[in-house]
Amino acid sequence: MSGFRYSYALNQWRQSPTSFVRLEDHERAFKTLSVSGFRAVELWAGTGRWSNLGRPEHLRLNYGSSAGFVGRLAECGIDAVSSLTWDPSAPAAEEGFDLRSTSRPADHARILAAVDPYLDLLTELGCDRIVVRATEPAGRIGADLDVGAVASVLERIGSAAKDRGVRLAADIDCLSPLRDAAGIASLLDSTDPDLVDLSLSTADLVVAGEDPVAIARRHVDRIGHVHLKDSHFVDSENAYLLPGAEVDMLQGNAGRRIERWFFEFGSEAGLVDAAAVLGVLGESDYSGWVVLESDQSPEPATSAMLNAWYLTHIAAAGFRAAARTEEPAR
Amino acid sequence: MKWSYMDHWRSPSPNGPIDQWQTYDSMDRFLKQVAAVGYDAIDTFDHRYFTIIDQYGSVANYQEFVQERGLERIVNTFHAAAYDQRNYAPHIASTHDNILEDFRVTMDRWSGIQLDNIIVMPATLYYDMEPVTEDKIKTTAELWNKVGAITLDAGVKLTCHHEFFCGIQSKEELDTFYAYTDPALVNLFVDTAQHCIASVDPVEFYEKYADRVTGFHFKDTRHQDLVGDYRRRPDAELMGTTTPRWFHEMGDEGGLVDFEAFMRAVVRNGYDGWLSVEHDKANKLGGDHAESTAIARWYAKNVLEKVAREEAAK
Repeated sequence: MSGFRYSYALNQWRQSPTSFVRLEDHERAFKTLSVSGFRAVELWAGTGRWSNLGRPEHLRLNYGSSAGFVGRLAECGIDAVSSLTWDPSAPAAEEGFDLRSTSRPADHARILAAVDPYLDLLTELGCDRIVVRATEPAGRIGADLDVGAVASVLERIGSAAKDRGVRLAADIDCLSPLRDAAGIASLLDSTDPDLVDLSLSTADLVVAGEDPVAIARRHVDRIGHVHLKDSHFVDSENAYLLPGAEVDMLQGNAGRRIERWFFEFGSEAGLVDAAAVLGVLGESDYSGWVVLESDQSPEPATSAMLNAWYLTHIAAAGFRAAARTEEPAR
Repeated sequence: MKWSYMDHWRSPSPNGPIDQWQTYDSMDRFLKQVAAVGYDAIDTFDHRYFTIIDQYGSVANYQEFVQERGLERIVNTFHAAAYDQRNYAPHIASTHDNILEDFRVTMDRWSGIQLDNIIVMPATLYYDMEPVTEDKIKTTAELWNKVGAITLDAGVKLTCHHEFFCGIQSKEELDTFYAYTDPALVNLFVDTAQHCIASVDPVEFYEKYADRVTGFHFKDTRHQDLVGDYRRRPDAELMGTTTPRWFHEMGDEGGLVDFEAFMRAVVRNGYDGWLSVEHDKANKLGGDHAESTAIARWYAKNVLEKVAREEAAK
C-alpha cells in the first residue's frame, strides 16, 4: 500500500461570513479533528478580516506569525497543514475585487500576482500543496472556454509553486465546464505533468455523472490531491449550465431544489464508494494527501466524527493506525 | 411612527445556517416573518445588488417581491465598502476619485427605486487611520461633502453611521467631523449601540446633532469597549476581547442603551422619518435572529410607542 496521508478540510466550519472567526472556534475544530484521528488540516482562501484563516496577512496577525499558527495546531494535536484551496476567479477585497478568469489570457498576470502571497504562506507553513479551481462555473463562462488558456495559467502557477517546493493540483468541480471525463482528460492532456496534478474530488465527479473509481484508475499517475466526500445526487438535468448555478443548483434555489448536495460518508443514499477509491490509490504509488471534506454540513463536528468512524470501520483499515498516538506538543 | 428592519438574518437549513438571500424561499420566509410582527419596511445593503440582479432581474422587481409580502418598500441601503488603504480610504485624498466613481455607479444601480438614505461608515477601520488627526478628519469630510452632492443629485441623502471600530468614533472625533462637513450634504445616522460601546452617550449625541439626523439603528449592547478593542487588528467586531457578541436586540435585559430616554428625545426633536431596527450578529452565543426581531418589535410597540405618545402629549 502506498503511503498517503489523511487530512480534513476546515471549510465546513465556515458556514456564514460571521462564523469561525474567533480563535477559540478554530481551536475547538482542531481538537475535534485531532481526537477523531486526523493529523492535518486543509485551509481555504477567502477574503476580509473575518476570513482570518483564508488570508495570509490575517492568519499571521491572529497567530503572531505563520510559525505561531503551526505551533497552535501542534498544541491541539494537529501536525500539519496539508493543503490550501484557492479559486482564482473569486473576487477578494484585498485585491480590489478584481474579477478574473483562468480562461482569459489577459487576466493571467493578475492571477499570478494574486497567488503569490499564498505561495509565501504555504512555504512558511511547511505545506506542499495548493489546490487551484481550474475554471469558474460553466454558466458564467458560456460556450467560449479556451482549455489551452486554462492549461497555460495553471502551468504558470504550477511553475511558480514548484519554485517554492509546492505542487499544484487542479480542482475540477461539479460546476466546471470540464467536469466530465472528456473535460478532465482534455485539461490533463494539455498540461505538463511536471507542473499540474489532478485533484480528485469524489463527490463532484458523482454529481457530474462520472464514476470516481474509473476516473481515479484512468488518471492515477496524475492525481496529486484527493477530496474524499460523498453525495446523494447526480446532476442529471445539467443544472450546472444555469447562469447562476452556484445558487440555483448548489443552494437549491431552482430546479430540483436540492439544498445539500454533499455529505459525510455512511448514509444510505451515498453514491461514492470510498473504499474502492482508496483501493485504487493504495495500489498505486500515490503518496499525497487524502482530504476529507464535508462542506454544506449543518453540523461540522458531527460530519468529521462520522467520517472518522467510517474510515476506521468501513473504508480504510489503516486510518486509525496512521492517526496520532502520542500526546500533543503542549 | 414607522419601523424598518435592517437585513441581518440567519436561519437553519439542510446545509447549515443561511441568510435570507440564499434562495427565493428563504427570502420569502424572511419577509413574511418581518411583516408578521409589524415592521413596515426593510433596509438592506447595496452590495446585495448582484444577488438581486441574478435572482430578481432588477432592484424594482425585488422591491415588488418585498411589497407582495406586505411591506411598504426598501427605505435605506447601507454601503458596506471594503476600506483598502491602497484605493478606498476616505482620509487619503488620492483614493477619492475612486470612491466618488463608486458612488456614481452605486446610485445608478439603485435608481429604479426611491431610497431615503444611503448609509456609510465614513472612515476606515480605526487602526488603518490612526493616529487620527484633525487633518485626516478634514480630508475625510471633504470626500463626504462631494459624495453627498452625488447622492443628493440622485434624490438620496448621504448619512453617516459610526461603528465603534471606525476611525471617527470618539466624541472629539465626531465633533470635528461634523464641523467640517456640510449639513446640507452630510447627515448623521445614529446607531445607539455603536455609540454606547464607544462611550458616547447616544441620547446626548443625538440631541446635539438632531437637525442633521436622518435615521437610526435601534440596537442594544451589554458592553462598553473599555480595553481598546476598537483598534484591535485585524478585527474588533467579532474578535474583541470584551465579548464575542457586542450586539443585542432592544428590549434585552442587561442592555446599556436607555431607549426610553432616546425615544423621548426623538419625539422632542420632531423627527418624522423612518425608525430602523438592527441587531447584527444576534445569532452569536446561541441567539436567534427571528426571535430577536420579534422581541425588538414587541419592545417598540409596547414600550417605545407608548413613551412616544406620552412625550408627544406634553
